[in-house]
Amino acid sequence: MMDLTWYILGVLTGAVAYSLYLTSKNITLNWLSWSGLITGSALILFSIAWAVGSVLEGVPRAASMGILLFGLSGVIILTLTARMIASRKEVD
Amino acid sequence: MNQPVKIESSEKLNASRRRFLKLGLAGAGVAAVAAGGITAIKRMEGIPHDEFPLPVRDDFKRIDQRNQINIFANSKALNDKHPERNRSFNAQLKKENLEGYKEFHFYKTRREFMTGPYRDTPGYSQLERALAVAGFSSARQQLGGGSMEAPNSGVSSWKQDMLVKNRYQFKSPKEGALAIKSAARLFGALRCGITKRDERWDYDPIYDASIERELSWDKDFPFEPKTIIVIMAEMDYHTMAAAPSWMQDGTVGDAYAHAIKTAGQLTIFLRQLGYQAVASMNDLGINAPYAIAAGLGEGARNGQVITPKYGPRVRISKVYTDIELVEYDKPRTFGVASFCLNCKRCANSCPSKAITFDEQSWEPTYSSDPDYIWHASRGVLKFHNDAKKCAKFWIDNDGSCGNCIASCPYNKPDFWHHRLVDAQNVIAPGPMHAFMREMDIFFGYGKVDDPERVRKFWKMGTKI
Repeated sequence: MMDLTWYILGVLTGAVAYSLYLTSKNITLNWLSWSGLITGSALILFSIAWAVGSVLEGVPRAASMGILLFGLSGVIILTLTARMIASRKEVD
Repeated sequence: MNQPVKIESSEKLNASRRRFLKLGLAGAGVAAVAAGGITAIKRMEGIPHDEFPLPVRDDFKRIDQRNQINIFANSKALNDKHPERNRSFNAQLKKENLEGYKEFHFYKTRREFMTGPYRDTPGYSQLERALAVAGFSSARQQLGGGSMEAPNSGVSSWKQDMLVKNRYQFKSPKEGALAIKSAARLFGALRCGITKRDERWDYDPIYDASIERELSWDKDFPFEPKTIIVIMAEMDYHTMAAAPSWMQDGTVGDAYAHAIKTAGQLTIFLRQLGYQAVASMNDLGINAPYAIAAGLGEGARNGQVITPKYGPRVRISKVYTDIELVEYDKPRTFGVASFCLNCKRCANSCPSKAITFDEQSWEPTYSSDPDYIWHASRGVLKFHNDAKKCAKFWIDNDGSCGNCIASCPYNKPDFWHHRLVDAQNVIAPGPMHAFMREMDIFFGYGKVDDPERVRKFWKMGTKI
């Protein structure tokens, strides 16, 4: 099961990297935006891997805590970064 | 005419400098992460030491096996010989809890161990008692029906059966060590390390409580051991998680069976190569220092050896042999002692308060009365625990305990994310360990006295 998770996460990572590439072609991103997008995406992907691992090892509480701590942080970072990019675009 | 051109080149130069600075910063960041990663990996493999990693004083005396807690508890003769030991312990129990005090006698109460009535509480029913007794049955059969501490019994017999005359010569010490470890892997060892015999860790004299007899290394043991092969067998995470219920005895006994089976087979392997060998469970010598010397782990607060990936969730057996030309493993430290200083989760979980909250010391810190600390090894800088209190809880519980194993943050199933936490722990400074301990609790690991774990165990058959 973990092997399948790694495979799916590999595909997801590829998709995220491609989306970032497309975004950077359409919008000029500064270093802060890049950092936010990469960190946020990485945290979400990490939380998925953590949660699946925890469920498989039989500790569901660790899975929910992982999603809460890493996944939610990732979502917050991505949201803030997206808002920052949008506000910069409006100024431009 | 030249002015605008100058401004343009100056702007270009500044932009180029900024780009260079950014690239430099990014490069430094990547290098720092890489360096941290490499350091963590190196430390997770352990820092090798030329000498035994725990300081040992010159006046350290070898442990008399008659003073080993289980041997003493199993011996009527020793209890009769040392009434002051029972007296002193009872005085302490009375002092600590006068109202709940009930007289305790190491030998008499030990006779009733694991024979008490079934209870209505989860983990203490006929089902769990059956699991515990069955778990231990194989190890007992292999050891000729004796206890785990009994020497010269069953597969740990001192008779050199199946010894061949021709001594196989390995091309090099490295080849010898590799052959032994490869055989150990086949016979089911989780880990195997090889170390030189160190008399400090051998009992002297050896004592067989079943026949109430002292045994001597010089007169009774069949040969002079030169090398000790240390074997580790894994205990099941989910069964151990049911600690301190009777259920966890199932995996304790089962791991003993695996550990002694591997040691027994390795003994025959060595005898077939022409070398004398004797398998040993908890007899002949102390497992923990030999496992540390063989580079398999590091001594922890709970008195056990923490081995990478599995923590304290292992049982250790040994093979004493006269083979000499083998490459010895170096002891390694993994940052466990530093983590234990800040963690203390085992001490908090210990129902009998046998585990110390103090720092490492040369002598026990819980008492200095010789009639009370008769079993303690003095002269090693380590965490000193009161084994008598632990033994008493076993009797009260009518089964062993395992809380110090189940609650340890190093006790985790072998999953990738725990290796990540291990990497963080080896490079993080001390105060961070206290934070990691809290996170371990927050994430739901190491809970003891949890009836849910018992129910969960009995549903695990669906996965087979």
